[in-house]
Amino acid sequence: METFIPSPQGIPWLSIVCVIAPLVSAIVTLFIPSGNDNAVKMWANVASFAIFLGTIFIWLFAGYDPNNPAYQLGEVAEWIPVLNVDYRVAIDGLSLPLVVLTGFLTWISIFYSTRVINYRVKEYFFLFLLLAVGMFGVFIALDYFLFYIFWEIGLVPMYFLIGIWGGARREYAAIKFFLYTLTGSVLMLLAILGIYWGTGSFNLVTLPGLMQNSEVFGANGNFLVKSLAFWAIFIAFAIKVPLFPFHTWLPDAHVEAPTAGSVILAGILLKLGGYGMIRILMPLFPDTFNAYWIPIAVLAVISIVYGALVAMAQWDLKKLIAYTSVNHMGYCMLGIAAAASTLDRGPELMESRAIALNGAVFQFIAHGLITGALFLLVGVIYERAHTRDIKQFGGLGAVLPIFYGFMAITTFASLGLPGLAGFVSEFMVFRGAFGVGLQAQPILAILTGIALLGIVFTAALFLWKVIQGLFLGTLNEKWANLPDMHAWEMISVVPLVVLFIFFGLYPAPILNLINQGVVKILGMMS
Amino acid sequence: MNPYIAIGLLLLLSTGLALIIVLLGAVLGPNNPNERKLEPYESGMVPVGEAMQRLPIRFYLIATLFIVFDIEVIFLFPWALIFRKLGIFGLVEMAVFLLILLVGYIYIWQKGALEWD
Amino acid sequence: MNTNVDWLQRSLAIGPELLLMLGGLVVLLVDMWLADDDHPLLPGLTGLFMVGALIWSFVPFIPGMGITPGTIYGMFALDNLTIFFRVFVLTSSLLVLALTTVYIKGRTEQTGEFYSLLLFITLSVILASAANNLIMIYLAFEFLSLTSYIMVGWLRDDVRSNEAAMKYLLYGAISSAVMLYGMSLLYGATGSTNIAEIAAVFANPRTEIVGIFNLGITAAVLMMVGFGFKVALVPFHQWSPDAYEGAPTPVTTFLSVGPKAAGFAIMIRVLTGALGAQTESWQAMLSAVAILTMVVGNLTALAQTDMKRLLAYSSIAQAGYILMGLVANNPADNFGIRAVLVYLLAYLFTNIGLFVSVIGFEQATGSTTIDDYRGLIRRSPFHAMAMVIFFLSLLGIPPTAGFLGKFLVFGAVINAELYFLAVVGMLTSVISAYYYLNVVRVMFFQGDEEDRPLRFAFPLQAVLVITLVGTLLMNLYPTPFLNLIGEPTNLVTQLFGQLPF
Repeated sequence: METFIPSPQGIPWLSIVCVIAPLVSAIVTLFIPSGNDNAVKMWANVASFAIFLGTIFIWLFAGYDPNNPAYQLGEVAEWIPVLNVDYRVAIDGLSLPLVVLTGFLTWISIFYSTRVINYRVKEYFFLFLLLAVGMFGVFIALDYFLFYIFWEIGLVPMYFLIGIWGGARREYAAIKFFLYTLTGSVLMLLAILGIYWGTGSFNLVTLPGLMQNSEVFGANGNFLVKSLAFWAIFIAFAIKVPLFPFHTWLPDAHVEAPTAGSVILAGILLKLGGYGMIRILMPLFPDTFNAYWIPIAVLAVISIVYGALVAMAQWDLKKLIAYTSVNHMGYCMLGIAAAASTLDRGPELMESRAIALNGAVFQFIAHGLITGALFLLVGVIYERAHTRDIKQFGGLGAVLPIFYGFMAITTFASLGLPGLAGFVSEFMVFRGAFGVGLQAQPILAILTGIALLGIVFTAALFLWKVIQGLFLGTLNEKWANLPDMHAWEMISVVPLVVLFIFFGLYPAPILNLINQGVVKILGMMS
Repeated sequence: MNPYIAIGLLLLLSTGLALIIVLLGAVLGPNNPNERKLEPYESGMVPVGEAMQRLPIRFYLIATLFIVFDIEVIFLFPWALIFRKLGIFGLVEMAVFLLILLVGYIYIWQKGALEWD
Repeated sequence: MNTNVDWLQRSLAIGPELLLMLGGLVVLLVDMWLADDDHPLLPGLTGLFMVGALIWSFVPFIPGMGITPGTIYGMFALDNLTIFFRVFVLTSSLLVLALTTVYIKGRTEQTGEFYSLLLFITLSVILASAANNLIMIYLAFEFLSLTSYIMVGWLRDDVRSNEAAMKYLLYGAISSAVMLYGMSLLYGATGSTNIAEIAAVFANPRTEIVGIFNLGITAAVLMMVGFGFKVALVPFHQWSPDAYEGAPTPVTTFLSVGPKAAGFAIMIRVLTGALGAQTESWQAMLSAVAILTMVVGNLTALAQTDMKRLLAYSSIAQAGYILMGLVANNPADNFGIRAVLVYLLAYLFTNIGLFVSVIGFEQATGSTTIDDYRGLIRRSPFHAMAMVIFFLSLLGIPPTAGFLGKFLVFGAVINAELYFLAVVGMLTSVISAYYYLNVVRVMFFQGDEEDRPLRFAFPLQAVLVITLVGTLLMNLYPTPFLNLIGEPTNLVTQLFGQLPF
């Protein structure tokens, strides 16, 4: 069976929609004469919405076959023949949902920013569109060199977004974000070079096979070298995810970033790390991943429990939500560790592993939608009250009923209430991890049991801190005259809410897609 | 054996030797200073005037120019000796060399470096 | 290897050098009869000779010219490496010339001499990078040093410029003396000053008597003092921040590119050529120097408040990265040397681009203090954005030339399995992110109360655009640049075959 299917009629849909369109829109933004802030905003909105429609088009109309696990809509062009580097992009069930999510959240963020950002407008939207290039690129790149380039491109605009439009400690947060991520990516670069010398290729389509046959990285290869390369890449992705103990940049970056920046940060950038683990680490280092699954699972469980507990200790609403990201991405990591845990065992575990990994990938989507909505809602209250201190709020339920409603359903989704998207993914991760654990790895079962505590803690913190702290109790008179959500704010939040309800009730269309990719990855591992 | 050890030994030995010689002289030698002995050495002459006297910069200029042109003329002698062997190529080479010299000469002349005031 | 080729053909082969020399003399003479110091004829003529030399550099590629790779009297090597450095240094000189025309106005009366010296220093860099004999190397090296001293001290009324020249001179005199001592050891050990012949003696097993062989190592250590001085490697770097700060900025620009290239070219020829047999020893030494250079350069840069000093320390650190390519070079495929050349090329575009911005800012505000770059994004957005790209390039972040350079250099290091060196290099480059981004932070995150737009003279704009395009293109479409480098050390290997024993 064909593993890499070129785009039908040779039309480079992926490049057009995911690279050229955002890049050109960004550059056009620069050429709009200064002073025309409204024109810039209009253009950014139109462009990002068109790009979002483009991703939908790729999903439904560009000839993508959702039942085929192969890489599809592929494009290959020779780039640096001396180094065997190609421009190679394609999508499969793993990346397509994330591409659409990127298009969607970019549009939502730009739409929301239209009203909020009135300072250095041109730069803001330029950087936002540039950021989209990097994010899209990571998801579609199938050449490790290209992947790395997109990976780094995403870093720079975010640095500026935090540093220019951020909160009080924005400069500190921006450089911290940059240095953390850069440390990870330079380590990854060394590993990429090691892989290149071991296999002579950057091609992610053929690399899994080449790695197995290579002298150094193969099954009988040098375990030390394999481990070094594995951990170098792992740390790069773990910083981005972020996995405990590499998470400390995240609260600062989230708290200081402008609202839309937080949405993108939580919604997409964190997923780049998890995506990399699944797309690159699992197929390239199956046995090494397998050898280290226990420490990784332990780190995941620590992230889950620790993230929830630290979130509970926060009084800054945005910081609280930032820490729940650590918790939620911990579930993804648990699912990934579970899927990598029993490589040597027979196919009887395949189902559980697939469920765990499906859950992890679905969590990318669910968390992107839910946390995106949460950050938007925090932005809404911050725009009004100019504070995020939970202690100063209380009794807002009567003053801001619409906001209350949105906040309530989003927090419920975040804590994993059945019927909403968060539940589906978390349930699948636990089901898969328990399945693997009970059948083969008792440690995993115990770890999963501990991780369940995370659910309890998040439920507690959302109900107690957020719902009770913000909306119940006595009203602080200062806030008695706050206006409720405007229409444009609702327009930004409603699509997210609708989607996470919809996918909570009917996750099948996305899950089918993801499953194709996940089964393929697991197949590559064995 | 690591070859750097030899280099290190050489460094140690030479430094040590120099130190020993200086120290030996200071320790063993008789030390009877008198006024004459403590005077700065000026080739046996009695020192005259201030040491930190200012000399006109022109002396340096003239000295430098003298060295440049004097030394460069020296190149002409060996060339003349093997002129036949070098043939036409040698002639062209020397012409180029003299041309550069000539340009330098014109330059310093034009800039007034040859005038005393 | 055509040593009996007609001398006219040889002159044709070194045409660019002859043209540069002639140009230097002509500009000097023309200047004497021009009343106006700012006469456009001077930079015009200078540029004309440079362009002529640049075009002539490509003549050996024309088939039927009868110019084959080889040496001229064993002194001047004509190979891909020479051609690369010719193109390299002529490109940088042309860019520096454009900067000079803007910078020099009103600062000095001796403009003619300056242009003439620019031609001579260009010539000296080419000679140094093509030198195939220890004596030639030393002469070219001194030629380069002397012209640099004069150019650094060009602003006669500026105390800092004088101080810089003096420091540079004292350091240079001592280090070249030490280097000469090393060369004399090589001559004593092998009885030859020709690089290929020296290599042949060391490579011949019969003469591998421990003493003689180790003399080669001692010589390498001593010569490294000179080379290290030229490319500003730690611990021979102390002159460079002062020289960079005090020198006229276009000179600083050239110093950060030209002599560095010459130093690396000499290192490539001497170390991999003459001392190929001692590769293990000098690679161990160089890897220590590289680590020291990267660590000290980057850490010291953190504390800088002046843009030119910051760039001085940054260029020290960059030299450490370039050196890694040499450390990790594998004589079988010369990947490390190729990486060095790509890195140098990337560094050429990036660094000159940055210095253009510094000169433009200095012309407009008279300041080189980093704090004065506050709010530059509002005063000159294009300029500020270009600077960000240059900084990212120095940092090695795609899509910039610097990334390609770092990628290849680290590729060589990983291939040589020098993991410790690689990790030190990577971590120090993360440190460098802090000070590079500090400038970006000042330019972008901090407001400027005045908000006066800055205007740039046309030559500066042009150079900025050229370097910016070069910086981006080298990563986005690197093939032509990689082709330019080709097989870098063709000649060194060919020479081994040609020797009579």
